[in-house]
Amino acid sequence: MQLLINGNPITVPEELQDVTLLDFLRDFAGLTGTKYGCGIGLCGACTVHLDGEATRSCQTYVSDLDDARVTTIEGLAQTFSGEGLHPVQQAWIAEGVPQCGYCQAGQIMTASALLRRVPDPTDEEIREEMSGNLCRCGTYGRISQAIARVAQEA
Amino acid sequence: MGQQVETRKINRRLFLKRTGWVAAGLTVAAYTSYPVVHSTLPALPTFDAPNTQDGVLWLQAMADGRVRFFCPRMEMGQGAGVGLSQVVAEELNIDQADIECILPDTDQVPPFQMTVGSQSIAHFFDPVSWGAAQLREALRRLAAKKSDLPADEIKDGRAGFVLPDGTLLGYGALVPDTGVIVGDDQLLPDDALPRLALKSVKNHKAIGQDWRHHELEAIVTGQMTYARDVQVPDMAFGAVIYPPGFEAKLLSADTNKARAIPGIIGVEINKGDDFVGLVAEHPFVLETAIEALNAEWQIDETLDQGQIDARLDVQKFRSDDDFAHTLLSSGDLGTGQRHAKHRVTGRYDTPFAAHAAIEPRSGVVWVKEDKIEVWCSTQDPYFVQNRVAKVLGREAEDVVVHTHRIGGGFGGRVPCQASEAAARLSATFNRPVRVQWDREDEFSNNYFQPKFSHYIEAGVTSDGKISHWDHDFVSSSILTGTVPGLIGKAIDMATPDDGTIRGIVPQYDMTNRRIRYAAVRTPVPINAWRGLGSAPNAFAIESMMDELALKAGIDPFQFRLQNLPPSSDRLANVLREVAEISDWGRPTPPDTGRGLACAVYKDETAAAVVVDIQIDYTARAVRVTRAWCAQDCGLVLNPHQVESQIMGNIIWGSSMSLKEQITIAAGRVDEDNFHMYEPLRHGSSPEVTVSLVVPSNMAPSAVGEAALPPVPAAIANAVFAATGRRNRHLPMTYESTFDETG
Ligand code: FES
Ligand code: FES
Repeated sequence: MQLLINGNPITVPEELQDVTLLDFLRDFAGLTGTKYGCGIGLCGACTVHLDGEATRSCQTYVSDLDDARVTTIEGLAQTFSGEGLHPVQQAWIAEGVPQCGYCQAGQIMTASALLRRVPDPTDEEIREEMSGNLCRCGTYGRISQAIARVAQEA
Repeated sequence: MGQQVETRKINRRLFLKRTGWVAAGLTVAAYTSYPVVHSTLPALPTFDAPNTQDGVLWLQAMADGRVRFFCPRMEMGQGAGVGLSQVVAEELNIDQADIECILPDTDQVPPFQMTVGSQSIAHFFDPVSWGAAQLREALRRLAAKKSDLPADEIKDGRAGFVLPDGTLLGYGALVPDTGVIVGDDQLLPDDALPRLALKSVKNHKAIGQDWRHHELEAIVTGQMTYARDVQVPDMAFGAVIYPPGFEAKLLSADTNKARAIPGIIGVEINKGDDFVGLVAEHPFVLETAIEALNAEWQIDETLDQGQIDARLDVQKFRSDDDFAHTLLSSGDLGTGQRHAKHRVTGRYDTPFAAHAAIEPRSGVVWVKEDKIEVWCSTQDPYFVQNRVAKVLGREAEDVVVHTHRIGGGFGGRVPCQASEAAARLSATFNRPVRVQWDREDEFSNNYFQPKFSHYIEAGVTSDGKISHWDHDFVSSSILTGTVPGLIGKAIDMATPDDGTIRGIVPQYDMTNRRIRYAAVRTPVPINAWRGLGSAPNAFAIESMMDELALKAGIDPFQFRLQNLPPSSDRLANVLREVAEISDWGRPTPPDTGRGLACAVYKDETAAAVVVDIQIDYTARAVRVTRAWCAQDCGLVLNPHQVESQIMGNIIWGSSMSLKEQITIAAGRVDEDNFHMYEPLRHGSSPEVTVSLVVPSNMAPSAVGEAALPPVPAAIANAVFAATGRRNRHLPMTYESTFDETG
């Protein structure tokens, strides 16, 4: 079995087919940008894209992936046609969103999937969509602003 | 050498170990004052605030003209590294790109005060400014030598000096390959040392700017290495089963079954100290192996929340008149009571609370013959160094802690128990070992914010003054919370805990007052949590202030103002400011309410908060919709960063007020993941507006926790305004608002 992670084909060893995508990414593929926070789908720190959709990697098993393209925070910038960082990453820096930063890979993956689907979300849509991603440092206000900035600049 | 300057002897050798950079030929003095633990007590992280002179230890000029800054603060999102870099930049006339800001390992700088209590800027501004100024003057002397001119003819320029003929001499042209560190014998006395960071704010170039933290790009691209992300060659993967309840005892475990699992390197069991751990070649078998161990424990299941509540019941202590500590007593309560036109009593309770930082802790430890290496994140790497040494029976000097950005601290990340376990397993199995806590470990095995139980009886005179204030409360020691048994009890009797009583003395004028405190120890482990006692204490005080104001028919904002003495002008200022920006007094729509509260944090930072809440009767929810905060924290190094901290405190305060509670059931912590202990989410969080009152002449003061204390009372006051129901217990839920109080 093979996975396509950030455009790279990676062969899954037989014995790792029933591990979670989160563990596979972090402990086999060496992609540690995707974070563990709760392991039960409630914090969003482990969010990645499966075919562009925000997905909790701690709730996804490698064997369930079939042909899905996996994008992690390390590969997000490649999915953007322009130069440098993905616009959401740029906005995160411009608005100075992160505090401890640990939840932010997940926040960015959720936000970028939202903006792909809804390029100009309302404040309500942002709040609702982002509610699956906990931030203990309380960066919610700046997250909303950064998403609004991307929508405005697009 | 100036006669006033007393420089502590420090080990410059510590500087020289850095990879890729060697400063040869410098004087090396012995650093001897590092405390090593000899007693059976757990080492307490008790390092003192830095001396001004420590500043030179953290700075090096490099041959490429840049400055290396070993920022003596651990980073957990509070942004100390960026704020203090701005101080360095100010003194040395450089930009952010000219600074290499490094989170130091324990072998790179001498021990510094642990990163707690919002002291990073307040305590370190002065030493960093002093050290950077010394470095600038040392460089000026090099420029004088090089240009053969007297030093006083060499003027400051951007990243260097300007000679009388207008030539710019950059630092790069002055610094030899070995770099420049200011030696003990090169220090200027204070009166000969110009301090650019102390100049009036209007002259500042770096201070006061919204610099972004230099690690933001690494964070948003997933490149930042947190402790959980550390990989060491040949690393093995460990796991530990922790006792599943307070003081649980290990009965048995089936090691053979676990050992037989392919990939398992070994199992370590020690009934003497209830340790069950194992190590594997890869992490994917750990879960199965842990299950196979089938560890059985003896737990005392009788301890439950009801018992603990009964022990921490302020009424019980009042009926027994059993308060070990009278923190304050002045005037005469009886006289006050006679002068009172209105009298109010209130009992206010706050629960145990968890830190719930999103990153569960992790450590990688490699025990070698000559040296022990630890990779982890902690608010005090020297404490971890000590603890790991103690676990292994080695000297602290043999242990090096490589530090990482912390994925949320909040007081919960002083020890790194995962590293202590990894150290043990590494010693046994002779490999570098990683141990990661999962979310359940975080909830079950760390310490908590203690419960508080307050009782206040107070009154208002006919002219709207506070007639008297009789405040009793019960809680647990925080700073010495982990000291065990009888020694702990002895400490409790000898002295009230500074952390627990933080903020207990109201700022208001009150002649007749008494504040008493009793400490209780329970099996629930207690230690630092954001703000320590300040938020639970302000919840009681500022709720009572509202109750008094309403009883007397005075607007709560006016009531506070008219009871503040002139010495509290900073607090009065922020009150007026928050009233202004929130348009206090504006009528509120139905089902909404507005509340106000204020507090001074650690006698330094004044903050006032207004919140709007909304009752959603359909969803049966109480929501904080808007919040305003005015804060006076003296000189602001980085307004963006301060604003972020305030926003974070408002969210934290809303979360603790509405959502958070740890309960004890059957001898253990009941909550074990976010389904049972769910911090406030984005959709329920208020929009926050911040105003910083910026006086130019005040030293910078605490920020990281300062806006938190007023939040719970502001919310309770707003809920009362909306519903006429007074919540005197946290958390305030829809149910508690409508069913249990009133
Ligand atoms: S780790 Fe997947 S949602 Fe928390
Ligand atoms: S930035 Fe710390 S948890 Fe979100």
